[in-house]
Amino acid sequence: MDMFIATILGILAAGSPLVLASLGETISERAGVVNLSLDGAMLLSAMAAFALALTTGSAWLGFLFGGLTGAAVAGFLVVVSVYLGCSQMAIGFILTLLCRDLAYFLGNDYARLPGPDLGYWSIPGLGGISPVVYVSVIAMFLVWRWMFFTRSGLRARAVGESPQAAFSRGVKVNRIRILCVLTGGFMAGLAGGAYSLAIKNGWGRPQGCEGAGWICLAIVIFGGWSPWKVVAGAYFFAALQVAGIHLQDLFPGLPGPVFQVAPFPIMILTLLLANLGRMRRVKDLAARNPFVKKIVSGLNASAPEALGKDFNEDM
Amino acid sequence: MDITLREIRKNYGAVQALRGVDASLRPGRVYGLLGENGAGKSTLMRVLCGRTRPDGGDILINGASAGALNPARALAVGVGMLQQDPLDFPAMKVWENFSLGGRGGGRAKAAENLANLSGSFHFSFDPDMRLADLTVGERQQLSLLRLLDAGVRVLILDEPTTGISLEQKEALFAAMRRLSKDENRTVIFVTHNLEEAVDMCDDILVMSHGRVTGEFTPPYSKEELLTRMFGEDAARPVKSSPAAAGRRDGRETLALSGAVFEGEGFDLADIDLCVRPGEIIGLAGLEGNGQEPLLRGLAGRARMKAGRLLLDGIDLSGKPPERFRFSGSHLLPAARLERGLFPDMSVREHFQLAFPELKGAGGTAFMEASCRRFRLPVRLSEPAVNLSGGNQQRLQLALIPENVKLLLLEHPTRGLDLESCRQIWEHLEERCRQGAAILFSSADLEEILDHCHRVLVFFQRRLFADVNASGLSAGALGALMSGQKGEGL
Amino acid sequence: MSAPGFRMAAPVRLVAVAAFAVAATLIILLLAGAPPLDAVSVILDGGVGSRIRALQSLGVWTPLMLCSAGLLLTFAAGLWNIGIEGQVVMGAIAATCLLRFFGEGAGTFPLVLGLLAGMAGGALWAWLSGALRVYGRVHEIFSGLGLNFVAIGLTLWLILGPWRQPGAASLSGTEPLPDDFWLPMPGGFPLWQTVLAAAAVIAVRIILTKSRWGLVVKASGQNASAAALWGLRPGLRALQAMAACGALAGLAGALQVTGLYHRLLPSISSGYGYTALLAVMMAGFKLGPVIPICFFFAILNVGSIQLPLGLRLDSSLAGVIQGVLALSVFVVAGLELRLRRRKGGA
Repeated sequence: MDMFIATILGILAAGSPLVLASLGETISERAGVVNLSLDGAMLLSAMAAFALALTTGSAWLGFLFGGLTGAAVAGFLVVVSVYLGCSQMAIGFILTLLCRDLAYFLGNDYARLPGPDLGYWSIPGLGGISPVVYVSVIAMFLVWRWMFFTRSGLRARAVGESPQAAFSRGVKVNRIRILCVLTGGFMAGLAGGAYSLAIKNGWGRPQGCEGAGWICLAIVIFGGWSPWKVVAGAYFFAALQVAGIHLQDLFPGLPGPVFQVAPFPIMILTLLLANLGRMRRVKDLAARNPFVKKIVSGLNASAPEALGKDFNEDM
Repeated sequence: MDITLREIRKNYGAVQALRGVDASLRPGRVYGLLGENGAGKSTLMRVLCGRTRPDGGDILINGASAGALNPARALAVGVGMLQQDPLDFPAMKVWENFSLGGRGGGRAKAAENLANLSGSFHFSFDPDMRLADLTVGERQQLSLLRLLDAGVRVLILDEPTTGISLEQKEALFAAMRRLSKDENRTVIFVTHNLEEAVDMCDDILVMSHGRVTGEFTPPYSKEELLTRMFGEDAARPVKSSPAAAGRRDGRETLALSGAVFEGEGFDLADIDLCVRPGEIIGLAGLEGNGQEPLLRGLAGRARMKAGRLLLDGIDLSGKPPERFRFSGSHLLPAARLERGLFPDMSVREHFQLAFPELKGAGGTAFMEASCRRFRLPVRLSEPAVNLSGGNQQRLQLALIPENVKLLLLEHPTRGLDLESCRQIWEHLEERCRQGAAILFSSADLEEILDHCHRVLVFFQRRLFADVNASGLSAGALGALMSGQKGEGL
Repeated sequence: MSAPGFRMAAPVRLVAVAAFAVAATLIILLLAGAPPLDAVSVILDGGVGSRIRALQSLGVWTPLMLCSAGLLLTFAAGLWNIGIEGQVVMGAIAATCLLRFFGEGAGTFPLVLGLLAGMAGGALWAWLSGALRVYGRVHEIFSGLGLNFVAIGLTLWLILGPWRQPGAASLSGTEPLPDDFWLPMPGGFPLWQTVLAAAAVIAVRIILTKSRWGLVVKASGQNASAAALWGLRPGLRALQAMAACGALAGLAGALQVTGLYHRLLPSISSGYGYTALLAVMMAGFKLGPVIPICFFFAILNVGSIQLPLGLRLDSSLAGVIQGVLALSVFVVAGLELRLRRRKGGA
């Protein structure tokens, strides 16, 4: 039983940065902007968070700074793509590589140093739970409440569906996009901070969270841009990571790296599944067979209609 | 609320969509805005509701200038528009669509307002349904209620009867009467359908070529309205059929039976059609009623869901587009740059793609000769994106091989000047004499009447009529396009 | 076009890019507390300071150039082949795999086969990514990235598992290959690598400017809708372009094995696939500028190895400068567009 609880707690902890970052990305994609810089931005934020925590001695200050770093990267992306008309893909991709190298370069002085971390908040009977778990759970509810029960959440989704329609109803499209991407970036930054201050304490090259950002981008697609499914996807991949550690004990013949890359082929498979419903043959089959139709419509994720498309108010 | 439009002008590039429109609208009345495709009706209405910024002119509300409008400001002063292409959010819920741009509010408040309003109009909505699961008519009713919830005093309906059921249409007309007569709002009814306009409106404005060309009050004379819409000679039978070629033998270029083509959001079903060499067939009807799936389907680009398609005796049902092209079917899309050409590639590269055998000096000589023949005054190194609309079309034509059997054109002369139109038709008729069959869609009735042997009329997303063009008048064709059969055809 | 346009002259644009990049790099260096001029001189000295270092830079230029040449094909086809990194790795694995079959004394013929195997391995990996896009609708960015990690995992597994060195398995790589399979380097000059990279440049130039296949690929990439209408089969072209790019990337990987390390290493690709992506984007997807940019990037990569020794800075500064440069190109292009629009609209 203790083993079971420990595993669950392990998944919750490993999942919290994934939850934060993929929910953040969900927000920005729901407003129509793909932030491809996620992976690099998370790494840079992890470094920034740890460095500030080490300098000031306050892990929480560092955590916050991680969030701001993520927001800054996202802010650059959205301003350049909205106002200068640069390709979101190209800028996002360059940023992800740049931020990664920037993190290693600026973080050189902080590598392999012991530093503060966020510690644990205990629950009687369960033991210590990292604060980032609480943060991620709170974030889930906040994002869900905001997205579906507030006026601004409604507007953000509308902008991602059809900026033209939103504009014709008096919504300020660009402003909403920028705010959503900034928020998404802030959450990705918090995820980075969660790695260096709670999940894989410290900074180094590699830090250990490399590739997590890409997984988060895939989780958003797999989760069909819907917050709860995205959360489920994040915990699924966290469970894979945790299972990898356990499986390693079971199969000592297979070296650890094999388990570390396991999430990636699974990421491709999940994307394949999510897109299944859009293939012509499957569509035809679903039209004839109600059982197939049910499966496909459960998996089928339709992206926000205007995802990745530019919008010009003047027409 | 009185509205006065003064000298409204709008250009899109070289095209003058509005050339100085004056009109005044008073409350408590239903205004009809009539005109053929491209007359400027929709543009004018988009200007009024703040979606399009005019290049000149002024909008006065109760005598005072409204200044530069945007959608938010227009809504605030009480002007709202029901768009022709539904500007809503299909993936979102009914109450969300109602709340956005209406008075707002959360689920409970929006659902309550919606229930109150829909009750008084005898509509009914489940606030938690996804909009995508509603019919076009229901989506339109919802938009109408949203605008009323926002408190609009001037309601614009752009072609609101396209694709809705008869009951929904009657409910809509009842609502329009009530809003104008009982509630003293201004209703503007933009339509293409003469019958409906005559039934509904207290006042009809006719637009043509970017101007208001006439204002009428009941009792209306349909003949006069048609004349104003389609020009002085709307009732004149067309000159003898052009290029009286074709039908030389019993061969069929194209035979379609029971064909179903997938369009955007609907299927164009049950098409039976037989086309002979040298025939020119025009596709008439309000845009989006099935012309596009038919033309694209005949090029293998729209999916054929059922039926049989024979091109020159070869069964091509369900085959990929390269087979159609290889068998001699060529489509020239209306969106020349977006769907037909490769924007950053040069004229030379287009020739090389179309005619793989062209090489070296001989190839260049052929290209230059082709350009001269098609009056394409451009350098071979010029990328397609730099070509004018007319030259893009001439390039598309120059790239069609001699042995083409079926030539499909979407709006062959849209946006082109008169001289280009003449040259293009001269060339197309030449192709016909060589034995090619031509199918083309057009919004310009004169173009159809001037060049066709046969006209296919599309109405309510199906093939409504297949008529011989000789002796057909613009008025009769206009009537067919408005869904009226009979009248001595 | 006849519309009144605003177009920066090329030198103006170059200066703008340089100014932006220098300013950004300066800020980053100051943030790291590094003396900017010293950093630059250490990098330049490390990259071209001596004959050996210059030859080393040339040795780095070759895989970068091979990858960039391949990427020009996939970009022409409108594809983001981010999986190129994994394709380099798979090329290295395939080459090593084949060469391990032949023992010592097999002559140089297996070397040729090894290079071909590398090309096949890379092509297969790229085709997989393309097929996922064409048939499975998985965007090539995700499939490529996922396959990169898989390829790296495969390398680690091989090094630590089946191909481990006798004695203790270690991350220092597999056992070295026999001397016969070492690519000859007369006087430390990477002759064959340079020849192959130059050949790839010429081949890609011919393909993109002279061949019908190149024309068809470009057309498919530019407008898939029109390409389908013209019967050019854009899906097939995407797969072919991916495979061609993968073959060049795989060759780069095979050359890393046979020419430089003579064994399979965990980081056999050195991230050259990603660096090549930056180079090609910075070059505006044109072959001409890619050649010097790859040289410059190679010098940065080689020179930055000296940073930890000379200034106690991390060598990732090379990647930072490369990223900043690529970003500057896009930002300047965007600014130019905005200025032009404003002037045109007024």
